[in-house]
Amino acid sequence: MPQPHTLVVNGETVEVDVAGLPLLADVLRDRLRRTGTKVACGRGECGACTVLVGGRPTMACITPAVLVREPVETVEGLAAESADLRAAFADSGAFQCGFCTPGQVVAATALLRDGLPAADEDRRAHVGHELSGNVCRCTGYQAIVDSVCAVAAARDGVSS
Amino acid sequence: MTWVGRRVRPLDWDDRSAGRTLFTADLGGDHLVGRVLRSPHPYAEIVAIDTARARRMPGVHAVITAADFAPDALYVHRGGPLSDRPPLARGVVRHVGQEVAAVAAETAAQAEAALRAIRVRYRPRPAPLTPTAARAAGAPTLHERTTDEPNVAMLLDMTWGDPDAGRAAAAVTVEGSFAYPSVSHAAMEPNTTLAAWDADHGRVELWTSTQAPWFIAKEVSQLLGLDHDDVVVREGATGGGFGSKSKASEHEVLAAALARAARRPVLLALSREEEFGSNKPRHRFETHLRTHADADGVLRALDAEIDVDNGSYNHMGSSVMRVGVITLGSMYRPDGVRFVSRLVDTATQPGGQFRGYGTPQVSLAMESQVDEIAARLGLDPIAMRLRNLAPEHAETLCGYRVGTNRLGDCLVAVRDGLDWDVARAAARSSGAVRRGWGVAAGSHGSGAYAYEQANRSDAAVDLFADGRVRVRHGGSDAGTGQNTILAQIAADELGVDLGDVAVLSMDSDRTPFELGAWSSRGTHMTGSSVGQASRELADRLRRLAADKLGTSADAVTLRGGRARSDAGDVELGDLVDLSGEAVDGAASEPVLSHETSYLLEGTEMLAPGKDRANLSPSYAFAAHGAVVDVDTRTGQVRVADYLAAHDVGRAINPTAVEGQIVGGAVMGLGAALGEDLVREGGRVVNPTYLHYALPRNADVPSVRAHIVAGHEAAGPYGAKSVGEMSIVPPGAAVANAVADAVGVRIRELPITPDKVITALAEQEGRRRRHGIWRRPSRWWIAAIRALYPLGLHHVLDRWGTRLGAARRARRHDPAPPPEIRMPADLGEALSALRSPRAAALGGGTDQLPDRPRQARPAPVLVAVGTLPELRRIEVHRHEGGGEHLHVGGAVTLAELARHPATPTALAEAVRGIASPQIRNTATVAGNLVQAKRCWFFRNGFDCYKRNGATSPCYAILGDHRFQHAAVDGHRCQAVTPSDVGNVLPALDAVLTLARGDGSRREVGASAFYSGPGETVLRDDEILVAVDVPLPAGRRSAYTKLGLYTGDFATAAAALSVVVGEDGRWHDVRLVLGALAPTPWRLTEVEDALRGTRPTVAGVRRLVDRVLDAHAHPLPRNGWKLDAAAGLCEQAVEEIVTGAAAAVPERPAVTPAGV
Ligand code: FES
Ligand code: FES
Repeated sequence: MPQPHTLVVNGETVEVDVAGLPLLADVLRDRLRRTGTKVACGRGECGACTVLVGGRPTMACITPAVLVREPVETVEGLAAESADLRAAFADSGAFQCGFCTPGQVVAATALLRDGLPAADEDRRAHVGHELSGNVCRCTGYQAIVDSVCAVAAARDGVSS
Repeated sequence: MTWVGRRVRPLDWDDRSAGRTLFTADLGGDHLVGRVLRSPHPYAEIVAIDTARARRMPGVHAVITAADFAPDALYVHRGGPLSDRPPLARGVVRHVGQEVAAVAAETAAQAEAALRAIRVRYRPRPAPLTPTAARAAGAPTLHERTTDEPNVAMLLDMTWGDPDAGRAAAAVTVEGSFAYPSVSHAAMEPNTTLAAWDADHGRVELWTSTQAPWFIAKEVSQLLGLDHDDVVVREGATGGGFGSKSKASEHEVLAAALARAARRPVLLALSREEEFGSNKPRHRFETHLRTHADADGVLRALDAEIDVDNGSYNHMGSSVMRVGVITLGSMYRPDGVRFVSRLVDTATQPGGQFRGYGTPQVSLAMESQVDEIAARLGLDPIAMRLRNLAPEHAETLCGYRVGTNRLGDCLVAVRDGLDWDVARAAARSSGAVRRGWGVAAGSHGSGAYAYEQANRSDAAVDLFADGRVRVRHGGSDAGTGQNTILAQIAADELGVDLGDVAVLSMDSDRTPFELGAWSSRGTHMTGSSVGQASRELADRLRRLAADKLGTSADAVTLRGGRARSDAGDVELGDLVDLSGEAVDGAASEPVLSHETSYLLEGTEMLAPGKDRANLSPSYAFAAHGAVVDVDTRTGQVRVADYLAAHDVGRAINPTAVEGQIVGGAVMGLGAALGEDLVREGGRVVNPTYLHYALPRNADVPSVRAHIVAGHEAAGPYGAKSVGEMSIVPPGAAVANAVADAVGVRIRELPITPDKVITALAEQEGRRRRHGIWRRPSRWWIAAIRALYPLGLHHVLDRWGTRLGAARRARRHDPAPPPEIRMPADLGEALSALRSPRAAALGGGTDQLPDRPRQARPAPVLVAVGTLPELRRIEVHRHEGGGEHLHVGGAVTLAELARHPATPTALAEAVRGIASPQIRNTATVAGNLVQAKRCWFFRNGFDCYKRNGATSPCYAILGDHRFQHAAVDGHRCQAVTPSDVGNVLPALDAVLTLARGDGSRREVGASAFYSGPGETVLRDDEILVAVDVPLPAGRRSAYTKLGLYTGDFATAAAALSVVVGEDGRWHDVRLVLGALAPTPWRLTEVEDALRGTRPTVAGVRRLVDRVLDAHAHPLPRNGWKLDAAAGLCEQAVEEIVTGAAAAVPERPAVTPAGV
């Protein structure tokens, strides 16, 4: 028996059937064809499937869609907001294969919304810690942290 | 404009970073889902397979077994007598996880159900699981091999140069046994294939995650009995390979065979567990090495005996071993080298190709011993290596004809970049955390190891009428930046903008011959072939332009998309039509194509009788320097700084080169410090990111790349390869740094805290005695443990497990998905929970992933995560003064950590749990009630707790170093994993539980757990709130040891004290986590400390005394006692001098009555 449930994905309201307890990642990828959200472990352990739920980074691969009551933002929906971040990623080598990248971009976008600590040293440590849920096997992370810090500095420069 | 040598963005960066690039699993369309049935036994005969029921099941379109392939079908791989692996097990399985059958069904659930319906009868055989066991006299053999020794697939016994002379000249000799672990590539994109069968033409199309499409087509075609050209590989993105995707990885063939059988497209994606547990990891090397040097520190001879763990089948083991041993004769200039090396068959997952290809393994031994010799001779490790440099443009012992060699410059770069001389000479800390500096050098072949046809690479370049250029090659860029480099080359040769160049790769219909991106060939081979094709096309264009402009071709230059000369200019695109050779491309636009074949000369292949060869066109070198901090209290090693200096020739795209250097170095650091595929009975016990300790972002705070710029004449545009080189030195660099820091030499990677603590205890002559004979309460347990190796384990494992509930459940169809109830309030939730079929669901982060392994998962889940009553977090003030923090059970961990009144220890504990994403979802109650900490239990072993009383506890004989109890263990050795659960007893918290009948009760945090991860909650009861007192003057700290950021605690300490104005401690509470089955309060220590002004050393003494009186460790986890005591020291330090001391949680007052 179908069990309708309303989701708001990237600002768009969609009705999905949640009978059988589908996971948010499957709903996004298979039913809504938004395949930017990747699945690398399916157990909530790697961050490839990170999306924002109510603005909070969340592992879509272990979140039953039926429990999602707040707006969902995926990498597709955050492409514009993260344009400077993605360019910084590309400039610094923050991705190679790009499989973890959507998750990194989503998590880092939320981090940048919250703002980073002022001091340089704290910044790197903070970014490293807050992005530790996102495994990257290619880059060794340095360029990811560099990019996020650089974008935060650039955005600060613009706003102040 | 020159593009070669410039930092440029990856070609498709915008799409890739925005998630628009399609990987195989992203391809839509109507396809079936494939699944693989795998062997549960390491070595067994297959007596019968019955697929009849599976074939009849709804939605099932194909079930295949060995019978669906030719009776002699084998993967080719190295060919000849080395080929030994059938596509599906034929009569025998030789490792846990070997493919036995495969199914294709309409949905994943149907495919899973079909797997369970296949009946396989096995007759288990004794299985040799380690090289030692496999080489032992009388060991059961896995294959017929051509060597004289059982289970030895290949044996190399060789001498290069004159080792006798070298030994005779030696003043020092060091000797030791080194082990480099079997590690997993763990590429983020799981291996995935989408296969479509074209019945009309007998062709199969594949979209597959690969580094080498040609090899896939080769194996698929021969195993399916097709022509090579009838297997068409299509272009798609590949999410990381590191070698694992450079040869066939079984899923390609199985997907193709399923698609043919089902006559429908089939998508077969490996799960993460399959990636870790069944795919082909790095070969473990056990290297016994003797290094001889003269009094000047010049290496004179090396003697090695090496066992390479081949696993159950030959893949590239023979060549991995050859490349590995070459390390001994390729970098320095000893008089001679002698080695005996064996490729040993074991009944474990077969080893495969892995970045570095044997070199990191042997390098660990050699570069560790260089340091040991330097220490013996009182030489600086960098100075010692500088004395041993081999000359440039010379031949090495192993037959390499090395061109440029900038190893010396790399070493100097490390010395300068780490301020080596000054920093090392400065006074060393004598405190608990010691710093050490280590260096290691390395070399690796660059630009294709010689292999059949490996010296050839074809490429094509197309010019379209609108001036766009397209490079076509048959390789695949799995993330190395190869496509971008090729575009840079074409742009330069043709004088066009990089933005006008596209790259088409992989597609075997539309690209010319190329073996693919493996063995460091990407840059060299395709760089050369694309360069050559572009140059030849440029020549043609110059001639065409010359004809049109009425000048000579020599007078024409290509620049800015135009052919220019004194006689005038012409757009390149306009030359397409003029050529008269233009053909219509796919979109029927005219295109001028030029294809060429590049042939590499001067390399040689190894062959029988030829054991020295110039395998590669050029050779890469590197030196890495590591700065580590070793915490002598916990054994933890942290990399504080790391510099990787590389001789790369000329960097075509420096950003990509640095990316390969840093990425490879960090992967190497993973193997140095945490990664290891741990097996029990041949089965991997850590097949998940949760249990496989690879580096997370915060674990590698500073890793820097340094490019030693140069020019290698043999390489395209002066370039050498870099992707493999970078993973070679980290193991020895870290081991050397640890030795420098604390004076102990660890020879087996990974250097985990257990090894450090154990070595330190040995160095200091410390030994704990537990006097079990004086403690009758432990006699029964001690007796059972003693019986395990004497046959009890075997009996329980082999027969006892058959009686268990989990085992029985797996014979039935998988449980249907649960029904979810969404109650409006707590009352409704509680009454729903009265049904015995119902269970509460909070964030679900722990419970839902575990469901597939549960024998009887709850059919109904009651969602309690949003109930308002459970979502409150607030400070309550008591009437008589005082206050406490009230935390609803469904408050998330992130919310708890953020609340200003949350005590330091609690906030600190939460900060270290899992990941920010999990902390945003997981609830406080869920964290407290999560399943036990044990990798056997969590990964579905049929253990005592999962399967029932007749099953063994796998931890008793298995790897229990990190996760199991060292105090009070009973039948199950697991511990309670909750960090929150460790802290709450220290904070004297009270838990409120509510039942379906509306009744409530309060339980002190110390009394909440009844066993490992087991609580006093009744079936219909849930945890509704936690109340944490907030006494004035309290300070608290939580210290934890894990293997990576976000790991569960291997050991933890929670300390809470009320400090009076006089500095005396009152109301002391100390809890050790992950040491005993439940959080363990050290009341004896608390009593002794009350009213005193403790010192760190004083607390340590008290804690040690209590530990010694209570501990009953397993054979390999006694070190956790030291670590736990060390964590107590850290916690005391934080309260006395650290951050917790500076900021008391509440204003300090002397409590009444003191
Ligand atoms: S795929 Fe969701 S966390 Fe790994
Ligand atoms: S870029 Fe490949 S995993 Fe991160």
